[in-house]
Formats: sequence, structure tokens, C-alpha cells
Amino acid sequence: MADIGYIALFLALVASIYSAVAYILGGKRRIPQLVASARNSLLAVFGLISLSVILLVYALVTHNFQLEYVVSYTSRDMSLPYLLSALWAGNDGSLLFWGWLLSLFAAVVVLQKREFGQELVPYASAVMMITQAFFLLLLLSVSNPFQKIPFPPADGMGLNPMLENPGMILHPPALLAGYVGFTVPFAFAMAALLTRRLGDEWIIAIRRWTLLAWLFLGIGLIIGAWWAYVELGWGGYWAWDPVENAGLMPWLVATAFLHSVMMQRRRGMLKVWNMVLIILTFSLAIFGTFLTRSGILSSVHTFSESALGPFFLTFIGLSFFSALALLYLRWEDLKSEAELESFISRESTFLLNNLLLVGATFAVFLGTVFPVISEAVRGTEISVGPPFFNQVNGPIFLALILLAGVCALIGWRRASTRNLIRHFLWPLITALILGIALFVLGVRQWLALISFSICGFVLFTILYEWLRGTRARRRMRGENYFKAFWGLIITNRPRYGGYIVHIGVLLVAIGIIGSSLYDVEKEVTLQPGETMAIKDYTLTYEDLDFYETQSKVVVTATISAYNHGEPIGKLMPEKYFHRSYEQPVTEVAIRSTLCEDLYVILVGWDEDATATFKVLVNPLVIWIWIGGGVFVLGGLIAFWPERRASPILRQTKQGRG
Amino acid sequence: MRLGKRLGFILLLSIMLLASPARADGITVSDISRQLICQCGCTMVLLNCSHAECGSREAMTALIKEKISQGQSEEEIIQFFVAQYGERVLAAPPKKGFNLTAWLLPFVALLAGAGVIFVALRKWVRREPLPQTQPALGEEDEEYRKRLEEELKEFIERSFR
Repeated sequence: MADIGYIALFLALVASIYSAVAYILGGKRRIPQLVASARNSLLAVFGLISLSVILLVYALVTHNFQLEYVVSYTSRDMSLPYLLSALWAGNDGSLLFWGWLLSLFAAVVVLQKREFGQELVPYASAVMMITQAFFLLLLLSVSNPFQKIPFPPADGMGLNPMLENPGMILHPPALLAGYVGFTVPFAFAMAALLTRRLGDEWIIAIRRWTLLAWLFLGIGLIIGAWWAYVELGWGGYWAWDPVENAGLMPWLVATAFLHSVMMQRRRGMLKVWNMVLIILTFSLAIFGTFLTRSGILSSVHTFSESALGPFFLTFIGLSFFSALALLYLRWEDLKSEAELESFISRESTFLLNNLLLVGATFAVFLGTVFPVISEAVRGTEISVGPPFFNQVNGPIFLALILLAGVCALIGWRRASTRNLIRHFLWPLITALILGIALFVLGVRQWLALISFSICGFVLFTILYEWLRGTRARRRMRGENYFKAFWGLIITNRPRYGGYIVHIGVLLVAIGIIGSSLYDVEKEVTLQPGETMAIKDYTLTYEDLDFYETQSKVVVTATISAYNHGEPIGKLMPEKYFHRSYEQPVTEVAIRSTLCEDLYVILVGWDEDATATFKVLVNPLVIWIWIGGGVFVLGGLIAFWPERRASPILRQTKQGRG
Repeated sequence: MRLGKRLGFILLLSIMLLASPARADGITVSDISRQLICQCGCTMVLLNCSHAECGSREAMTALIKEKISQGQSEEEIIQFFVAQYGERVLAAPPKKGFNLTAWLLPFVALLAGAGVIFVALRKWVRREPLPQTQPALGEEDEEYRKRLEEELKEFIERSFR
């Protein structure tokens, strides 16, 4: 069985190399038969990798402990969902999953019906197949998931208990799909450069692919944050850990790309810049995969001896520099048609938006690699942790949010002073009122006042814009408000989807600001019956309980919680001691409301049932998750295919070709 | 516009510099453990480390408590840990010397980028705003307009590179 999986991967490697070569030759010499054969071979790659994924999943589910991978990440007592999720629990399996996703996306790309951009597909497919071949090479050489062991044990080592969380089923696939997804726009960009078809075609061909990859990565990041919050038990959701940063960076650059691409579509500007952004996004996505896999930066003590490092760095270097070289060769063809009417226009806010997003990415990158730089330059080991990232990125992100509001109020091309005043007046007044109201309500940190007012301002601009649109539609068509609003969104999904995404990001920002400026924490040691108070809450420690399950010993503390003296239920923070794992796992007790989270961690205890708790009150955290949901909703609306798409596309093609 | 942007950035920089958490008179353990990295190898901020089995967390926290009760200042306590473990114990590099590169480079890059955008915008924006309502163009005007646009376009393309 395992041999078949390995052989399938080997055949897939051969097929992917053949496909890449045949695509390039067939495309260049215009031999349709060769292109067709390359396409068949690409589909065969998808089939072959699917076969080996099925075989590995089968081995995981049937406890085939002849395979090292199955032994390392599963055990007999695991439930089916976690057995399936073991596919991406380890290095080798997740690389196989990566490769499979790429072959799936490539197959969808060649099977997709497209009205134009068809000429790009052979070259784009060739680029995807080259990337595919690289990952297959890794799977066949240094990280073979079908590696056998000489003496199969009776049971496996099981999944790391930290990973036993619904997050495990959703977070890695979403994140990986995001990383892999960026290969498609990159491939089309390269195809456009190779064929000198640098008009709008490639941009239109990849719009939804980029959106999809970006959406997946965003979902992956949010679920990752939620998982960290509920499972890791330190009360936070984002630690600016290198691996987290590696996921954030391509997302930020892709966000810049999604915005600047509109400039190219509307004004024929920024063609070189868009190429740079997509090359950066792809390279950072591969870099992210690499960091996640190798653990080279994550901490000093887990310096990985994995053989993956050099392979990845070579691949990133090769693809990055050859893409840049190709871009340089086509410089002439990417002449910008730039011409603007006014300094104050939506165009200039988009330029600033790109500056801030790429600047934030640069700050994250610098902070992530600075320990290495410092060690090389000064020979001093340093840490670059949350205080750095929060202080440097805080103002940049705040400026970005403000810009989102300003941008929505300024029209394309030109904004007259009169229009500006008319549009800005109400949102500004409302934001000011909000700020004053917050001050009266007792918010005194000026940073909070400014940040919340900015968020309020942006929220009002969006709502105001919707109101204006709805009103206009109602007046023109005589529809009622609800119908007019619905029609507004449905007829221009990319635009209104985008606004909804902005609202989602705002809610996330509100959650982050609230929870980082107003978090309260206390560590106390209590005897049963004793009480502690934190903010408006009173917690009474009732008792400590021990019980055993098949795989672990559980310690549970029971706490009765009161808010303003009113009972709000029992909280039961726990600690798990798994038989197969040294490290105990903290299961926190969280009570969420729209206003704040009460977060209780059981830190330790003594034999006389004296227990130490860490209690946190994190305001507004729930809005991060709600914002995440809104973000996904908006992304899906923007992603949803438009039925009337084709006539518009043809028009643009004629217009700019 | 230019002045506004500059002012904006000065504001941002000052936000960055002032953005240290507000503090009451008495320093608490969390004020200090927020600024340190736990040395058990978990690479977490000491305040956030919740590993019961993490030996260094207990030891470091106890030490901070002791030093606060001895009446040492925040600065003194932090310096004590730096002397003990080296700079890597700090959650963020101090804002001085070579470390300033990390703190300032992002903002320098942003300013430089803003400069590039400003220059580009100045080239891209037409000098003379077109009148909002265009009067009917005579044949002569039309010809003149075309020539002007061509020249402008050429100028823009050349100077853009």
C-alpha cells in the first residue's frame, strides 16, 4: 500500500515535469496537441497525488503502524475527525496536503471555462507544475510520508494533546489553502510577463483566485488566533510569534495587491508595482510554509536539523529572483498610463493604503528577523516580542483604518472641496460625539479615545455611504428601504463585499484595542471557600477534583462566579495530564459576553487543595471573532460570481486590451 | 497636503514613542513581567507564560516580587535581569544604539515611500484642472488639446522612469 503511494508520488513528479516542459514548448511553438497532452498530464498529476493522499488517509484511519508517519501522529484511541486531521499534523503529511491542494487548484484552473485569458493558461500551468515538481521532490526525498519502520509498534504515539481542538480541523487547511492559493495569481502574472500579454487579462483571470487565497489565509489566521486564545491558556490571541508573523505578512501584501489591482483595472496604473506585489506575496507564502515547517526562527532551542531548509531557501531564491529578472526584462511593456486629475482623490488614498500595508509588512519582517541581524552584527542575542510589534505596527494599522474611512468618502478621479466638506461632515461629527460619549462614560486613556473614535468614524462613513446608495436607489426605483439596500449590495458585490470586509476588520480592530488597552489580570492563591475579586466579578473557589479517563488524568477546579453579586454560573478551569505526553495541557474556563471575557486559568495546586489561579478580564474580545465572521461574509459576497460579468469584461478588453 | 502628511507622521511617531502603558505610582509585578521574556525556553512574555511546570517563571516572578518589596525602581529591576541574562531577557530591544534601526527603519521606509508617492503624484496630476463643464470645442481647440495630451503623456512616461 505504502509503496503504491510513494510510486504515485514519483509518477506525479515525472508527469508534472513533463507537463511543465510540454506546456512551454507547446505554447511557444503553438502546437495544440502538445498543450492538450500537457493538460492531460496535469490532470494526471492531480489524480496521482489524490491517490497517495487517499492511501495515507486510509493508513491513518486503519492504524497502519508500519508507517512512521502514522505511528508519530496517531493512536488507536483517537476519534475519526482527529485521525483525518493527522494528515496535516506533521511535516510530511502537511507537505503532501500542500502538494495536493496545488494540484487541485491547477486542475480547476485548466478545467475552468474562461472567455479570455486562455492564452495565458499554458504558461501559468507550466509555472504551477514547476512549483508542483518542487514539492513532489521534497516529498520523495527529505519528507516522505510513506516512510516505513522496521518494527511496527502495537500503538502509535498519538496526536499532541494541544492539537486536540476543533481548531486543528479548520486552521491548518485554511491557512495552507491560503498559502497554496497564491501560486495561481503568481503563475498568471508570470504567464503575462512571459507572453507579454500585460493588459487586463491576467488581472481579470486572477481576481477571484487572489480573493479566495486571501480569504482562506484570513480565515486561517482568525481561527488560529481563536485557537490560541481558548487552548494555549495565556489569555491572548496573538503573540507575534515568527510563525504567526509568517502568516500575516503574505496576507498584508495580498491585501495591498487587492487594492492596487483596482488602480490598474480602472486607470491602467501601477502595472510594475502590481507585479512586485504578487511576486512578494508568493515568495512570502512559500517563506511562511517554510517557517511553519522548519521552526528555524520560532525559538532558540528548537533549531531544526530538518533537511528542508536549504531546499526551501533555494526554491524561494530561485523563484523570487527569476521573477524579478523577468519583470526587469518586460519593463518597457509595463509602461504606465498614469494620469491623475487631482491630489485628493481615491487614487491617492489607494497609493497611501499600499504604502502603509507594505510598510506594516516590512515592520513585521524586520522585527521577525531582527534577532538574527542583531546576532550577526553585534553578536548579542536579543528578543523582539509583542511590545515592539504593538508599538511599531499599532500606529501604522490605526492610520490604515483611518484611511479606509477617508477613502470611502473621496470619489474616484477628483474630489471638489465642496463635496469633501459635505461628505466628511456627518461622519466626523458622529465620530466626535462618540469620542465625547466615551469620555463621559469613563474612558480616559487617550489612545483608546482616539482609536475608538477613528473606528467609529470609519464605521459611520461606510454606513453613511450605504444610506446614500439605498436612498438613491429607493428614489429611482420606488423600492422600499430593505429591497433597495439588498439590490444595492447584489448588483455590485465586489464593492459592497469589500465594505463588509472593512466592517469586519473594524470589529476585529475594536476587539484588539479594547482587549489590549483594558485587560486586567490577577494571580491569586486560594483555599477552598476563599473568594477573590476582579473588576465587577467575585469568584469563590469551591473545590478541586481529580478524575481519570482512558488517556489522561484531569484536575478540575470549580469556581462560582458572580457579577455585581449576581451569580453567573460555575467556571471549571482544568489541567490535563496525558499519559503519552510529558507536558500538561491547560484547559481554560472562559465566560464570554459582548462586553468582556472572564478568563480563568488553573495554574497550580497543592495537596491540601490550595490552588493558584490566573484570572483575566479581557474586554471586547468576542468582537474579534464576530468581526472574523463578518470578514468571511464580506469576502464571500465579493467572491461570489457575477452573472452579468461577461459583457463588462469584453468592454474593458476592447478599451485597454 | 505635504504638510498634512508630515504632521500626520510626526503624530504617529509621537504615538509610538508615548505608547507605553499608563502606570500608577506603585509598580506591580505585571508591570515588569510584561517587559521580560520567560527564560525556560518557551520564548513567551513572562506575564503570559502560564506553564505551571516552567521553573524559571516561578523564580523570576518571585525575584521581581522581592525586589519590588525592597523598594527598587522599575529601571533597577529590569537592569538586574539584563545583567543576569543579557539583552535577550527584554521582550523588546531597548530603544538605543543599534537596536534603533529596528525601531526607526519601518518609519524611515514609510517616509521614503511617502516621498516617492508625493513625487509620483506631482508628475501624474495634471497641472491645470480641466473645467467641470466643457464648452463645445472648436476644431482648432480639439487639435491643440490632442497635441497637448500627447506631449503630456510623453512627458509623464519619460519622467516616470
